[in-house]
Amino acid sequence: MKPNERAKYLEDYAESKKKGIPFFPDAIFKDAIAALIVFLVIVSLATFVGASLEAVADPSDAGFTPRPEWYFLFLFQLLKFFPGSLEVVGVFIIPMVALGFLVALPWTDRSARRHWTGRPVVTSITVFLFAGAIFLTVQAITAEPPPTADVASGDQIALLYSANCAGCHGTTISASSGTDLYKVIEGGTHDGMPAWNSDLTSIEIDALVGFILSPSGYTLFVDNCSECHDMQSLAESDSTELRRALDEGPDYAPHATLGLPVWREALTKADQAKLLNFLTAPDGQRLWFQECSACHGQSVAYSGDRKDLEELIRRGGGHLQMPSFGSALSPEEIETLALYVTVPSAAPEGAEMFGRLCTSCHATRVPTAPDLETARQLISLGGSHEDMPVWGDILTDQQIDALVDYVLAAAKLPNLDEAEQLFLQNCAACHGNLGEGGTNPTRAGDIIAPISTAEYLATRDDATLRSIISQGQPNFGMSPFADTFGGPLNSDQVDLLVAYIRSWAEDPPVDLPPDIPIVPQGARTAPALYEALCAQCHGASGEGGIGPAYDAAWQASKTDQQIFDDINLGHAATAMIAWGDLLSSQEIEDMVTYIRTLTGEAGQSAPLTYVSSILPIFDTYCAACHGVLGGWTATSYEDAMTSGDNGPVIIPGDPDSSSLVQSLIGTHPDGLVMPPAVTMSQSDIQKIIDWVAAGAPEG
Amino acid sequence: MQPAANDDRLKQTGDWLDERTGWRGNWTAVFLRKIPKVSWAYTLGSATLFTLVLQFVTGILLTLYYVPEPQQAYASVTYITNELSFGWLIRGIHHWGASAMVLLAILHMVRVIIYGAYKYPREVTWLTGVGLLLLTFAFGFTGYLLPWDQRAYWATVVGTQIGSVPPVVGGFTKDLMLGGPEISGLTLSRFFGAHVWVLPSLLVALVAIHLFLVVRNGITSPPKRDE
Repeated sequence: MKPNERAKYLEDYAESKKKGIPFFPDAIFKDAIAALIVFLVIVSLATFVGASLEAVADPSDAGFTPRPEWYFLFLFQLLKFFPGSLEVVGVFIIPMVALGFLVALPWTDRSARRHWTGRPVVTSITVFLFAGAIFLTVQAITAEPPPTADVASGDQIALLYSANCAGCHGTTISASSGTDLYKVIEGGTHDGMPAWNSDLTSIEIDALVGFILSPSGYTLFVDNCSECHDMQSLAESDSTELRRALDEGPDYAPHATLGLPVWREALTKADQAKLLNFLTAPDGQRLWFQECSACHGQSVAYSGDRKDLEELIRRGGGHLQMPSFGSALSPEEIETLALYVTVPSAAPEGAEMFGRLCTSCHATRVPTAPDLETARQLISLGGSHEDMPVWGDILTDQQIDALVDYVLAAAKLPNLDEAEQLFLQNCAACHGNLGEGGTNPTRAGDIIAPISTAEYLATRDDATLRSIISQGQPNFGMSPFADTFGGPLNSDQVDLLVAYIRSWAEDPPVDLPPDIPIVPQGARTAPALYEALCAQCHGASGEGGIGPAYDAAWQASKTDQQIFDDINLGHAATAMIAWGDLLSSQEIEDMVTYIRTLTGEAGQSAPLTYVSSILPIFDTYCAACHGVLGGWTATSYEDAMTSGDNGPVIIPGDPDSSSLVQSLIGTHPDGLVMPPAVTMSQSDIQKIIDWVAAGAPEG
Repeated sequence: MQPAANDDRLKQTGDWLDERTGWRGNWTAVFLRKIPKVSWAYTLGSATLFTLVLQFVTGILLTLYYVPEPQQAYASVTYITNELSFGWLIRGIHHWGASAMVLLAILHMVRVIIYGAYKYPREVTWLTGVGLLLLTFAFGFTGYLLPWDQRAYWATVVGTQIGSVPPVVGGFTKDLMLGGPEISGLTLSRFFGAHVWVLPSLLVALVAIHLFLVVRNGITSPPKRDE
């Protein structure tokens, strides 16, 4: 504005004031009316709508979809347009530009024009800014909850996605490559996103990762697979088979008659990867247990660098020798087994043989031979045939990355003795010595469920366990244990506890419901039932274990009726189920009488000897290979004590130095882990250790 | 007593006061001044001021019962809502008054832009107005956490995370707001302190300047098409 324009304005203004009205009472009257209307509106809203109050803040419930107050919604909505590293644009740059426009307005618009038609630039910017803010606000309000297209089709994962993610992320998330989505979801590491691990199981998180990585994966699945397969069963199937089905197309045996397209040509490489990532999410821990643990057990010792390991996995290769069964089996037996591995349904009796002879290396996966003749030869001659698959051809890059990460993390063998001490000091008071749970000392009337069941361990991965231990579960009365959250443990100790809890997975001390062996009708006497059902927790002579011991103090504290009720009704959420469903009341009464005869003192256990205790273990786990392949021979005491490639593997009295024990517990310097496929139970390993410590007596 | 005598007494008291305070001059300058003929759109500013007063009154009443401490914040809000006489009304007015204030402030600003009222000689008035708008948003943000319910908590989780995004100052801003790595009792104390002490002080100061300038420069007359 020029000086003369300014003077002109002041003159005009003085003129209009002269023609104007007095502030009091005229303008004040109008203001009072406006204020009254505003007041009435506010009071009516307060009265008829009120100020809502949600449930009390619960930091552990990340399932709550956060919504800001309406006047921040436009900002909230703006964020969704700028994912990942761009978020600074939506959060900071755009709002700052808008604010800068407002602040600088009197100095950028310096013309003397005042009517809005005379200032087209300012007017249009203003309209743009406000229309934008209103548009975003309306979009945020109406987009809640944003349904994904797939929800209607009943896709469970799309439902999961729309329930948990879509509230903030809209219908799709574009993640930059190399993002560890699992970690992001599980730990909630980026802007405003909470950790989901307490709300979602690791399987659900996997599914979400697959869904996010391959939003089109679902479409691909529907278009190409869903006519014959349901998603769950495909997701649980073996990656090798999935890849073969894709690679071989119509030549893949189970697909042979279906007239399917050649997938290699029908789907681009990228689409194939998307489909595989969708079906088998890149989650190292899950891939390991699905693909590797059958041969490698819980973990492998590996201390080299990441690149070599990745190369090793990608390349695969043969490294296990199969013994020759030609001399050990009759031709008929070989025929049965050969038939079984060629066409399993043609030789059901082969299942028993396979279980007896082959599972110690092949675990539960039955290898399939292309034809009878090949099968016959393989079985009779043995040799190098079970190669490690060329994973580079089977898994997608994302899956291999995840697997390598997991193997490296799992290879750091923890000191389980120290871990057990930590568990006993910090956890056992509430969770019991074996994670069996019990009454909650911090909340009357509450029962802590077991944390050592196969089901519990399978549905929570290490990351989840780690964060539960670190942050506690305040809503269940568990305080945080990591020092970063004010607890007593440093992060190494938390890792140790996770490893300790994970070590139960081999042989869960509590299973819910317990494995109930079939009791033959004729033998339903109290002692037989006790041995089959009760002894696994209460000990063969009532000496206790996971459940209480039936010692004198216990016997004195219970009436017969109480024992009857405990058996009949069980204890909620513990391994003590309500046996009334399985036993008749007469049987329970007999059981009470039988339990009364128990003293809770275990019979003197027989000393461990090779013949009585160790040979059966060797026969089950070791003899298939270590009897015919050379190296160490496990089949007789003489051989067991003296054979071995580098001297005896058993040093009587010194289990720590015996390479047998080292390879069983995973401390062998060469990284040997035995047995290669199945995992030996802790009690069997303990027996061997005790036996070696006792001087390895023969009998 | 005669009415005339009554008027006399009032005038005497007025004179006595005027001699000691000079109120008549101020009264004339503020209330009896002439202003241009204006439309109803000009009541938006005063309506915003009215909601501000309403927020002060209801806010003060709420602090009498509210406890800014994580264990008890929610319980005290529940108490105010469900048990305290007219507590629900006070809280309801404070809740809706906040929205009304934001809405009216924005409309007021739109009116100012449309009428070109930020121009000479009212540039400083405009600046204080922008400052007041930001303060109003800050009130809304800090007040949102205080009920300590799920919505409050998670919206603040998101809000404070957003605060950490700007480069350089982001980390500091977040620490300043949270008082630690995550939302805790400290965060609640800080939000309460800001909402009840810091922001009101700034707001009162800025409103005083804003009003002084409005009175001094007068309000704009609605511009004509050729202006």
